[in-house]
Amino acid sequence: MKGGKIDQVSNNGFEPKIVGFLCNWCSYAGADLAGTARLKYPANLRVIRVMCSGRVSPEFVVKALRAGADGVMVLGCHIGDCHYQAGNHRAAKRIAILRRLLNYMGIDPRRVRLEWVSASEAQRFTKIVKEFTDDMKALGPNPMKKVKV
Amino acid sequence: MIGKVRELAKEWLTTKKVDAIFGLRKQNNDVAPYLFTDVKELKDLVLSIDNRICFTVRPSKQNIVHLIQKNSPDMKIGIIARGCDERALIELAKRFQIDLEKIEILGVACTNKDAEECLCPIPYPKTIIIGEKAEGVSLDKIKNVESLLGKTLEEKAAFWKEQLSKCIKCYGCRNVCPMCICKECKLEEDLWVKSGELPPDFPMYHFIRFYHMADRCIECGQCEKACPAGIPLLTISKLVRKDVKELFDYEAGKDVEQESPLVTTLDETPLKEEAKDVAV
Ligand code: SF4
Ligand code: SF4
Ligand code: SF4
Ligand code: FES
Repeated sequence: MKGGKIDQVSNNGFEPKIVGFLCNWCSYAGADLAGTARLKYPANLRVIRVMCSGRVSPEFVVKALRAGADGVMVLGCHIGDCHYQAGNHRAAKRIAILRRLLNYMGIDPRRVRLEWVSASEAQRFTKIVKEFTDDMKALGPNPMKKVKV
Repeated sequence: MIGKVRELAKEWLTTKKVDAIFGLRKQNNDVAPYLFTDVKELKDLVLSIDNRICFTVRPSKQNIVHLIQKNSPDMKIGIIARGCDERALIELAKRFQIDLEKIEILGVACTNKDAEECLCPIPYPKTIIIGEKAEGVSLDKIKNVESLLGKTLEEKAAFWKEQLSKCIKCYGCRNVCPMCICKECKLEEDLWVKSGELPPDFPMYHFIRFYHMADRCIECGQCEKACPAGIPLLTISKLVRKDVKELFDYEAGKDVEQESPLVTTLDETPLKEEAKDVAV
């Protein structure tokens, strides 16, 4: 569900804020493992632990983007591994609709990414976070975030 | 056409095919849904594209047919339904709001002019009893849709920010929607939509409506007609409905047996791979 290829430009040292909704049973454990294995990943990610990727309603994503995130990642168990059977099936469908709707409203759908990361995939976790952070650096600041007045 | 509808309604009532006819009644200059049980009243039966028989009663947030059936569970009702009315009934039945077994649909086809006014894609019910099938208005014929698709992301954002800033948060778009039947509505929760804030913060209020309608909107066109600010709400609802069809081969209001992809698994309703990527 990747967006188009984004040119790697440094964008004047811009450090994006990234919100990640991580499923407790797999991706969060994967992130934990990355930590204990001392794998490096960008500090741009702010993790919100959820019980299942199916818990993430599209409103969460939009709210995060509005409240200041430059990008939002939803990470869940691989299909077949969800602890609640089909939570990730729902996430896959919701995010697909969400990305199209965002596009119509003028919000770049590349700012939202859904991936599956298991508890043992620390490497994959770091790779995805790094890739997404680079993508957000290239996209630049999210224009829809609320500017504090 | 209305003559024929009255005649048939009378026949259904006198032959006891149904116990009541549910349709629109005109009194003085007001048109409203009415349950006809006496043939003498049928002279006031009318058709109008500006009024829906399938509306949600506020503040209980329940569909009117649901309420009638709750009151009189054994009553056999004949409903004078156009394409959109029938789609709403199908979608409501799917969501356990009404019982189609006790409903006999008196299907009426709309005219070309009606369809154009409502931007209706399917201006006729499954079985047309009265009227002639007119052509629906397809997505590529809708100017607002065409112009939105021609915009860049920045232009789209600017367009909607401007349009949605006109919103006076009257809840009209939700209130007229036959599919907005949630007891607890997210638009009334401070967490998502701050009370007292005008216009509502971009884009949450309208995002919620658009997203919640993804698998339910039956394209009756009422939301846009109701909006006092003239916001082209249908533009996005229609596009999202098209996407849901593309992604999951699902159309709300088409078939009572077909479950929404949002409640099924990927095995039951797969996500179409080729439609996955979003054009920016
Ligand atoms: S067209 Fe508008 S009012 Fe009608 S079902 Fe869709 S969202 Fe609701
Ligand atoms: S806006 Fe959403 S929560 Fe509110 S009634 Fe409609 S579908 Fe339900
Ligand atoms: S009908 Fe129009 S003005 Fe009223 S709440 Fe809906 S979008 Fe806003
Ligand atoms: S429990 Fe991990 S995605 Fe459902």
